Amino acid sequence: MQLRAERTVAGAATEAAIFAVSMHQVGLSFGVSPLERRLVLADITLDVREGEFLCIVGPSGSGKTTLLRLLAGLIKPTAGEVRFRGQVVVGPSRERAIIFQDYSKALLPWRNVSGNIALSLEAQGMRASEQKPIIAALLAKMGLEQAANQYPGQLSGGMQQRVQIARCLAQHPNILLMDEPFGALDAITRQALQDEILLLSTEQHMTVVFITHDLEEAIYLGDRVAVLGDTPARIIETIDADLPRPRDQLTTREDPGFLALRHRLFGLLRRD
Amino acid sequence: MRRVLIGSILPALFIAVWEISSRTGTLTLESLSRPSDILLAGMEGLGDGSILLATGQTFETALLGLTIAAITGIISGAVLGLSPVLERVVDPTIEALRPIPAVALMPLALMMFGFGVSMETTIVAYACVWPILIVTISAVQAIEPRLLELADVLEMTFVERLRKIILPAAFARINVSLRVAAGIALVVAVTVEIVLNPRGLGYSLILAQQSLRVDVMYAQLLWLCVIGYALNALLRNIGPAAIVLSRASQ
Amino acid sequence: MRTIDPIKIAALGFALALILTWQLLAELKLISPIFFPSPWRAGTVLVARFLDGSIWAPIVATGLRMLLGWALASFVGVAIGAAIGSSRLARDLLEPTLDFIRPLPASAMIPVAVLFLGLSNAMSLSVIAFGAIWPVLLASVHGFSSVQPELRQVSDVLGFSRREFLQKIALPSAFPDIIAGLRVSLAISLILAVITEMQASLPGLGWDIFYAQRVYRSADLYGGLVLLGVMGFAANHALTLFERRILRWRNLHD
Repeated sequence: MQLRAERTVAGAATEAAIFAVSMHQVGLSFGVSPLERRLVLADITLDVREGEFLCIVGPSGSGKTTLLRLLAGLIKPTAGEVRFRGQVVVGPSRERAIIFQDYSKALLPWRNVSGNIALSLEAQGMRASEQKPIIAALLAKMGLEQAANQYPGQLSGGMQQRVQIARCLAQHPNILLMDEPFGALDAITRQALQDEILLLSTEQHMTVVFITHDLEEAIYLGDRVAVLGDTPARIIETIDADLPRPRDQLTTREDPGFLALRHRLFGLLRRD
Repeated sequence: MRRVLIGSILPALFIAVWEISSRTGTLTLESLSRPSDILLAGMEGLGDGSILLATGQTFETALLGLTIAAITGIISGAVLGLSPVLERVVDPTIEALRPIPAVALMPLALMMFGFGVSMETTIVAYACVWPILIVTISAVQAIEPRLLELADVLEMTFVERLRKIILPAAFARINVSLRVAAGIALVVAVTVEIVLNPRGLGYSLILAQQSLRVDVMYAQLLWLCVIGYALNALLRNIGPAAIVLSRASQ
Repeated sequence: MRTIDPIKIAALGFALALILTWQLLAELKLISPIFFPSPWRAGTVLVARFLDGSIWAPIVATGLRMLLGWALASFVGVAIGAAIGSSRLARDLLEPTLDFIRPLPASAMIPVAVLFLGLSNAMSLSVIAFGAIWPVLLASVHGFSSVQPELRQVSDVLGFSRREFLQKIALPSAFPDIIAGLRVSLAISLILAVITEMQASLPGLGWDIFYAQRVYRSADLYGGLVLLGVMGFAANHALTLFERRILRWRNLHD
């Protein structure tokens, strides 16, 4: 609570000027001919502060993944603009790392864990000797030391997702875009990874945009939660998840503030 | 539509460049001829029936060989498919014979039959029997055991079993192998004619080359492409058509 | 102590029975010794050639022909396959033409090749390459066009160039398909090597078999056929071993 107040007072003016990412009246429609044209997202305006953990919730198929891909620069909006640190986003970049839900399709099955992490470092032109210490550090950080020489096919879902995260961290990104990353994992692994990602984002002062359909996950993780809904999709409301940090799987989820938020968000989502 | 248009760019360009450069004299290889001459030779060949005759001869041996291979392959395949023990005993022999290319047997067949239809048919049959046999074995092995039990209960003879249960159940996969074999039959037939046998399309190709009638040779090559393509298209639709027909006749 | 599988013995027995029947028929002169030499005779001829070393030259000649033609076909096939598999434009431009040429039997190109290149090794190699390219090409197209879209996106985000993408991601991803195509291409290469040798009197196993027929030396003929079968088998087996090594990541499942 204390930190939040300090930040608002001291840096309000400069903070408001340049956001990590922002979307201004962004719209996206698919289809070329007027007959096929389908408006998927409309009038999305969203600002994400540096170091903020923003969660976006919405029912399946509501366009959450599309929104994330717009932020990443993998697709261009048909209306409005997406900015990254003030500059218009024209394409994908190493600075905006994206973590896919289906980890098996996002990892290279023919390379072992170290090799997969090395991919990001190769993209930065690093020589093998330079890569070694960085890979070792990331393996340690993500708890992958034992699996360093194993192939993704030999690992559990949780481990594979950790590898993906490690590879993204190796990119040295400025923002982490996560597309329902824990959706395919069992509850216990999911909770473990939730806490790991919270720790990571605090340590590295990382800006994170986290997509999920799980209400509780969104409230647990986020500084703010944006609700995506309607057709075409728009941001229905953005709520501050003003709960004490560091978060705890047990106590935070029982906090009356948590429950109140849960009620509110449930109502918003149920609306459509 | 777009695909047809873009797809024709390269061939059209190729033909245009070939025609123009051969007329302006920049390209004067004797072995080359030119598209317009080739077209003329082709029409001549079609008109006087020579190409069609040769095609008929090639198709004759290909079809004959394919039929022999099909009958042999399907029946043996059914027998072996039904008896796992028998299959495992015979399998090494099959695996040992299979790698021998059918075309390598040409001199042997020549020795035995001399030039002509029998020799070519034998080679075609040998080449086609393996894919049909192997696929039939695995298709029969994959038949739902209950259907075979039913045949036992109804005390069916082998022939009845084959006709009423085995063939219909394994039809789809056997059909695919027949398509593959048909392609092989055509290729092998033409090959035998090119190397040895003085009949059919392969032989007329060699004749054209040796008498330096290059325009005829290229025309025949083009013709081969056309019938090969048409055959593939036909075969692709035969399977579904046969299924529709058999359903209709029930 | 390993138990001996009775079925394997029966299998061996079956093959031996066939050979023995053949031998018997030959002894009893029930089949013409001109067309069907006894297996014994064919065997002794082979052994003799092994002993005097004359067996290696044709094996090497045909083998080299097969490998060179196959290598050529493979490189070109993978290159074109990569282009078609990863670029819609390349596919639309090339595929229709390729679909039209594909049904042409490779041996039909022999007269053309002879016209341009005479009865030479170059003729043989070009015919082999023409025929062997198709399986590799088709397999490559399939392999390159089924790269996971997520990997494509990862590559874009990391900032890889098109070349780096093809080299680091698309090619390894397509390997399993490519190797399957290579295997079929190898078999075709052997067949075409033999055919071109017969046609152009080039030294090698094909020519040996052809010549043996001319002079009615059937024992040599059969010997040559056996060698051919063994060669085909050995080449395929070598490729399987190679495949297992390269794709070992596929077999490691806990």
